[in-house]
Amino acid sequence: MDRKIVLPGEKIADGRINAPNTFSDGTATYAAVIGMMDEENRYVPLENRYKPVVGDVVVGMVTDVRHAGYEVDLNLPEGGFIPTRDIRLTLQLGDFVICKIKSVNEVGDVDLGEVRRLPKGKIIEFPSAKVPRLIGRKSSMLNLLKDYSGGEIMVGNNGYVWMSERCDMPLLLKTIKVIERKAHKSGLTDEIANMLKQEKGERPQTVQGEEYV
Amino acid sequence: MSDSKGTVPLMINGKRTDGREVEDLRNLRIEVGIIPEADGSAYVEWGGNKIVCGVYGPRECIPRHDASPYHSIVKCRYMMSPFASLEEHSRSGPSRRSTELSKVIREVFENVVIAEKFPNTQIDIYIDVLQADGGTRTASITAATVALANAGIPMKDMVASVAVGKAGDTLVLDLNKAEDNFGQSDMPMAMSQKDKKLLLLQMDGLLTKEEVIEMVGMAERGCEKVNAIQTSALKRFYEKGEDETVKW
Repeated sequence: MDRKIVLPGEKIADGRINAPNTFSDGTATYAAVIGMMDEENRYVPLENRYKPVVGDVVVGMVTDVRHAGYEVDLNLPEGGFIPTRDIRLTLQLGDFVICKIKSVNEVGDVDLGEVRRLPKGKIIEFPSAKVPRLIGRKSSMLNLLKDYSGGEIMVGNNGYVWMSERCDMPLLLKTIKVIERKAHKSGLTDEIANMLKQEKGERPQTVQGEEYV
Repeated sequence: MSDSKGTVPLMINGKRTDGREVEDLRNLRIEVGIIPEADGSAYVEWGGNKIVCGVYGPRECIPRHDASPYHSIVKCRYMMSPFASLEEHSRSGPSRRSTELSKVIREVFENVVIAEKFPNTQIDIYIDVLQADGGTRTASITAATVALANAGIPMKDMVASVAVGKAGDTLVLDLNKAEDNFGQSDMPMAMSQKDKKLLLLQMDGLLTKEEVIEMVGMAERGCEKVNAIQTSALKRFYEKGEDETVKW
């Protein structure tokens, strides 16, 4: 295997490179979190803490309803804020929302915009460093999951994954667990596709959505 | 002290009480990610020590007046369980000793964690000693480093820690409980592995200048061995998903 795990403080390149989760002393760049070097010798973090960036799509849950707006849990130290004057819909405590980060200030307070309320469902936590693998190239992995689970899935950059109550939850949760564990493996989408095919063959075919209509 | 009072001999024919050479470590085993609910965790068995460490954060700083808008606050709570060792710790909870250890461990990690990225937050390090056998502070630092790496908290360096001491008139590496309690001197040290910075140095007993210089060298070699085990534990954990056959 050419994959090489790098630990915090390990040198990843000569000279200064401006990349997240690294730091530099001027002559070389070092890893700040545990990561690995991929085929093109680029540093890919394996663990990280989500850092909000303007324009990111995030999934969250309304945790507080106030006069001026809504507080949203985003898997961050502090919740995000949706000002009431910016939106037309009324939210309730416990509603799931998908929104865009409108601004982040220097101490990490997040303002949200472009809010959409999500229907009934479930939110799970997924490591934000591995979110790109859950979406896949051109959403290939996400589409695969949607096809097999029979429901809608939304993935936020913050690591929260919303799935509609129409989804085949046990199958989906198991699959996501596998993706999380094998996130650094190449050819993951094909492997998951095979696995899901096998799984669907062994289980009785369920007609999705029927009981909800 | 052992020799003058004629109690337990700590060195017999150049070997130590547990049969080790002077620069041998006790058996060290590290497991990563044993607490799924924590952001990062580690379990360390080092000789008779058994230590669990969980790391949480960066999360909202409580109480709020501790928070700084410039950096994250590192907090550490070291605790020995009431059944951790034979005599001293009859009950759990904060004591003079655990407060001191919490402080020195916190100060080690304040030097390596890149805290400026997370203003108004705190990073919690919880260390629980299930069984103590001398050198719990060094084992705790070793465990906490691995747990912080597992949590994905940015760090400038990995930290390894080991104690060096003097028992039976000989300088020895990684003291066990007998050498710690009945030996002449004990000097726990923690070192960052890239920069070789000394992040913790405490001393108990009497030593000459030459002895201290030699002991720092011994600790450096000891820390490299400890770091090799930390590294292999983390690599084992992160490479695990690769070849594993998935069971549905």
